[in-house]
Amino acid sequence: MISPYRILGVSEQAADADIKQAYLQGVKDNPPDRDSVRFRQIQDAYDAIKDEDCRLRHALFRVPRVEFDALLAQAFNQQGAGGPMAADDFLKLLSTVAIEKSLAKFTKPT
Amino acid sequence: MNDIIIGIDLGTTNSEVAIVENGKVTVIADAGKKILPSFVGLDDNGSILVGETARNQYLIYPERTVKSIKRLMGQDTQVTIAGQAYTPQEVSAIILKRLKAIAEAYVGQPIVKAVITVPAYFSDSQRQATREAGEIAGLEVVRMINEPTAAALVYGAGRLDAKRMLVYDLGGGTFDVSVVNVQSGVVEVLASHGDNHLGGDDFDQLIVDRILAHIREQFGIEVEPHGKAMARITRAAEQAKLCLSDEPYATIEEEYLLEHQGTPLHLKMELARSDYEDLIADHINATMDATHIALKGAKLTASDIDEIILVGGSTRTPCIRERLFEEFGFEPHGEVDPDLCVAMGAAMQAAMINGEDIGTVLVDVTPYTFGTCAVGYLDGLPYPYQYVPIVHKNSVLPVRKTEAFETFHDNQREVNVRIFQGEDPDALNNVEIGEFLVEGLLDVPAGNIITLTLDLDLNGILHVSAREKASGKEKAITINNAISRFDSGELNSAKQRIDGLFGETAGGEGGSGPESPAAAAARNAIKKAEALFETVSAEDKEDMVDLIETISNCLENSDEAGLREPVERLNDIIYYLES
Repeated sequence: MISPYRILGVSEQAADADIKQAYLQGVKDNPPDRDSVRFRQIQDAYDAIKDEDCRLRHALFRVPRVEFDALLAQAFNQQGAGGPMAADDFLKLLSTVAIEKSLAKFTKPT
Repeated sequence: MNDIIIGIDLGTTNSEVAIVENGKVTVIADAGKKILPSFVGLDDNGSILVGETARNQYLIYPERTVKSIKRLMGQDTQVTIAGQAYTPQEVSAIILKRLKAIAEAYVGQPIVKAVITVPAYFSDSQRQATREAGEIAGLEVVRMINEPTAAALVYGAGRLDAKRMLVYDLGGGTFDVSVVNVQSGVVEVLASHGDNHLGGDDFDQLIVDRILAHIREQFGIEVEPHGKAMARITRAAEQAKLCLSDEPYATIEEEYLLEHQGTPLHLKMELARSDYEDLIADHINATMDATHIALKGAKLTASDIDEIILVGGSTRTPCIRERLFEEFGFEPHGEVDPDLCVAMGAAMQAAMINGEDIGTVLVDVTPYTFGTCAVGYLDGLPYPYQYVPIVHKNSVLPVRKTEAFETFHDNQREVNVRIFQGEDPDALNNVEIGEFLVEGLLDVPAGNIITLTLDLDLNGILHVSAREKASGKEKAITINNAISRFDSGELNSAKQRIDGLFGETAGGEGGSGPESPAAAAARNAIKKAEALFETVSAEDKEDMVDLIETISNCLENSDEAGLREPVERLNDIIYYLES
């Protein structure tokens, strides 16, 4: 799954208005009548991150899972090594997952 | 060069055709008139009349003239013109053919493609019927777009500032309301709601009822059985309605309306605007309720709306403007003629589909929720028809959603999938729009997973498929109202029949020549009669069987002249039985 941020070409810190603008530009360049698949991709991306609620949900339930998959693949398919990654190494790798980073955006300084 | 694609507003009362040339939208005029009344009739010689001439004839020969056919689209019914039965699709096709001819005369070349508008709140079967009408008229319907959306496209084109618009579209037979966001060259529908059987015709009917009550009180006469008098009253009611848009009082006057026991009856009554507004108050309230539902669907309130766009002739009613002013606090827009702006939007969308850059892109939603039913719970109790919504209302089109279900019984070899449109948690309170059987499932314990995919295309037409996960066995259908749906053979014969009315001969496709309109109508009547057999009395049935036999003999011997009388009699019986 390609990140909705990448589909719309916005940063993870983008504000609602910027995301909306990117969505509208995407729609303008890919009208549903011309290429409905591409349009649907843009629409889904927008629906996933259009406001803070959606972005939080996305960060919690989508991004980590995808990264876990990548991590697991990396852990079990180490080139050259004679088997799965050592537990310590795996934990080290796990700590690089962006969950905290993703969530950090939503915890407002008080 | 691409084929020309025309934009058509196929309205309940009026229809228009428009085209984009060199980036400019033109509503094409025929003999100076841009509006074609949606009336169809047959004249003394059996020639087809469409538009103004048919509307004029309606007063004298209501029995061979049809108006407001759009209200019947998607229903399994027929209308009778001069003793012959036609489906709503066929009558609509006659109007479309006329519009096609007007456009062809204007551009000087054949046209085979069109974008046709439909009310946003048109159901799946009403959309299917519209597409079929196009096919019968010899038009490939490249896209159906929603009428309020088409209007928003006209108002939104070329605007760069962000605006939230409310499109209030009250036509002859349908009401739609859409909340639209226009920004950066994208016209984005946020929510739609409406009523597919509410419009100016209903207002006319209320005035007609008032007139009939008046005549009953004053003269003790029932006018309903007198077709011509009813046609005149209907026309007088419509004129009074139009008059009341500008005047506080309207006089309804019809001399020699009919003769009663040797004395002529002259109708004269006055209708005050305030009385008229009381008559239609419930309808107007219903439109305001729908407006609030649409706003809620868009997660907005009245104060978020920057502009109101009025579409449809019925929005000329002053109290509608007043009510909207009360709700929103500013005057609605009406710069673009409310009768023409839908056709213009259709033409713009046609140009865009044809690859022209019109500077604006359309994003639309479905006003309906679609789903299926499953064994579940209702109000906390087990219930076999719990509604499971799959595509939610106000989803952006096109949309595709999949839901997984499990078989309920061990060794369950088939599943009956029923598709509904609506919001009620009890599926049976929603409109069932289709069903199909998935057979030959694996012989396994309960819990066999079946996935159901609903795919709603840009035209608002639903495609459904079910798949048994374990075997990959799939069954797919395009939802269509099994009753009103034409198969391709029927479509073809309808096309030949309508072509025949226009004096065109079908293309040389070999085999036996096309059937004459009379013969086709006769077969239609027979089919119709046979469908009624189960419900009629023995006596009626006997009459019908006799007539069918006579008609069949005539058909076999190609005795066209002999057909007329028995077909007419059979149609009379059918008409009597159905009303």
